[in-house]
Amino acid sequence: MSDKPHDFIDQYQAWVRQGLEAWSRQFDPKAGPEGATVPPPDIAARLFAGLGGYGEWMRSMAGGEGPGAALDGGLPPFGHVPGGSAEFDAWARAAKDMLSLPAFGLTREQQEEQQALLKAWIEYMEHYQRYRTLLQGVHERANAALREQAPPTDAESMRSVYDRWVNLAEESYAEAALSEEFREVYASLVNAQMRVKLLQQRQVERMAVQAGMPTRKEVDSLGERLQAARRELAHMRGLAAEVESLKAEVAALRGTKKPAAKRATKPKDRRP
Amino acid sequence: MNENPFLIDPERARAEVEAFRRKLEAGLETLKKVGPIELGATPREAVYTEDKLTLWHFKGGKKPASKTPLLICYALVNTPWMIDLQEDRSMVRNLLAQGEDVYLVDWGYPDGADRWLTLEDYIDGYLDRCVDVVRERHGIESLNLLGICQGGVFSLCYAALHPEKVRNLVTMVTPVDFHTPDNMLSHWARNVDIDLFVDTMGNVPADVMNFAYLTLKPLRLNQQKYIGLVDILDNPKEVENFLRMEKWIFDSPDQAGEAFREFARDFFQKNLLMKGEARIGNRVVDLRKITQPVLNIYAEQDHLVPPAASAPLGGLVGSKDYTALAFKGGHIGIYVSGRAQKQVPPAIHAWLADR
Repeated sequence: MSDKPHDFIDQYQAWVRQGLEAWSRQFDPKAGPEGATVPPPDIAARLFAGLGGYGEWMRSMAGGEGPGAALDGGLPPFGHVPGGSAEFDAWARAAKDMLSLPAFGLTREQQEEQQALLKAWIEYMEHYQRYRTLLQGVHERANAALREQAPPTDAESMRSVYDRWVNLAEESYAEAALSEEFREVYASLVNAQMRVKLLQQRQVERMAVQAGMPTRKEVDSLGERLQAARRELAHMRGLAAEVESLKAEVAALRGTKKPAAKRATKPKDRRP
Repeated sequence: MNENPFLIDPERARAEVEAFRRKLEAGLETLKKVGPIELGATPREAVYTEDKLTLWHFKGGKKPASKTPLLICYALVNTPWMIDLQEDRSMVRNLLAQGEDVYLVDWGYPDGADRWLTLEDYIDGYLDRCVDVVRERHGIESLNLLGICQGGVFSLCYAALHPEKVRNLVTMVTPVDFHTPDNMLSHWARNVDIDLFVDTMGNVPADVMNFAYLTLKPLRLNQQKYIGLVDILDNPKEVENFLRMEKWIFDSPDQAGEAFREFARDFFQKNLLMKGEARIGNRVVDLRKITQPVLNIYAEQDHLVPPAASAPLGGLVGSKDYTALAFKGGHIGIYVSGRAQKQVPPAIHAWLADR
């Protein structure tokens, strides 16, 4: 361990300095090929690329991940990010054909389960590619809109250009996100992922049963019955309280007892 | 196409990066000094607990002037501390200062044991029992109910089913018409197979909910706000405020599966509240049964519950005393902005005081 109390801070500051210096070199007009001046739109594009990386880094740090985690692109909660390519499309077509072959023998059911899972996974990847294509369109339209902007009369800060780009990108995104196509693609993506997850759960359940462990299905079943029983108990307690109240009223009418106060019962008595 | 719409002076750009670097480098020193982040600034006492739920009673600096307590029903999504974020940003504190006697339903963090809770369990069960506790504590027949966002929908359902227990109803940023063209969340939810979703997920994880919210404005919420953070990195108080909001955003409860299924299907997908066909258990929610005074507050720049989703309430309730109040701000700003502190609690108090 270093004796320097600020060793970590020194390292952090050096890391920030290196990163930002590398970034600033990217839009240095003298740093282009053979010293040629880099056109301003490219400066802006590089600016956005650098800021995008920064945003990912901050988000990953905020999420408790290590600084390098964002290099992988981050993992949305809906699942991992598959790469889209012509090779994948060709492979997916071939794989789907193979996965449609009938299963045989003692492990027939497991084979079919495995086939269904792989097919669902391929379908999920296909929907994810559609989703990415839509987002790519949003990005391209935002950049095109930015380039369509009227030239400013004075030099702008990078921040103001960035903020303008964010505004345009959000407008472009909102327009796409409210379209029928987006709605269909988004739902297809979510539904496809749920199918994958459900089939994965079935396989885990099968393994849990073989290992003699309680499964989620069994726990859910118990929970459902328990909640139904609690609901019924609460209902019956309500009825019992009503009967007690009526009995008290009857007693009061007969002049044998004071009517119960018209108040709610104690909280602890109200629990189902 | 204009090939060169930008006029960025490279030297100025380098200076900008240099300034950015300095702030970022110095930022760690500020972040190191930030202690634990706490939410919920106002003293409070738990007066009732059940399962994960806590009913809080807030303690103000002076005795409440109002004889009818105000029960706040928050949404199931996120924690309720948005309304009591910090001392100088607290709707609760400002309501107390106005003389209101404030209670809050805190739904807690559901887990697997809560997977089968339905909307009936929440509204006719938990909420009804909280209402009864407050009524009993004050020896009153009815109280003032204030519902926030989804909690506003719950409050509408509750007031329609138990009108005798609600004296005045206040709804804040509450959706009624889920199918307005600008409602992105409901637009996305419309074709999702909700049964498959809940059958697969069980309880809906908070991360999935947060991911959906962040993707409503992906660049602003995932990127621009963190770039803006650098501007305040040399200001510990501002950083603390930022982190407090960050904690509130991401410290979210999971959603009980069955209640989520019902809400997503009947409200988001089928828009049954608007059609007068929503059901809680076996009972139809008829908003015309809400004849008590209603104050409906919505935010003009709300990206989660667009004003158009809230505004139709006036035409649906049976009340002849309906007031709509548009606040110039967003879904969160209506609770935490400086303008909100000055405008919203006094408006609520004045409206209640008149009734």
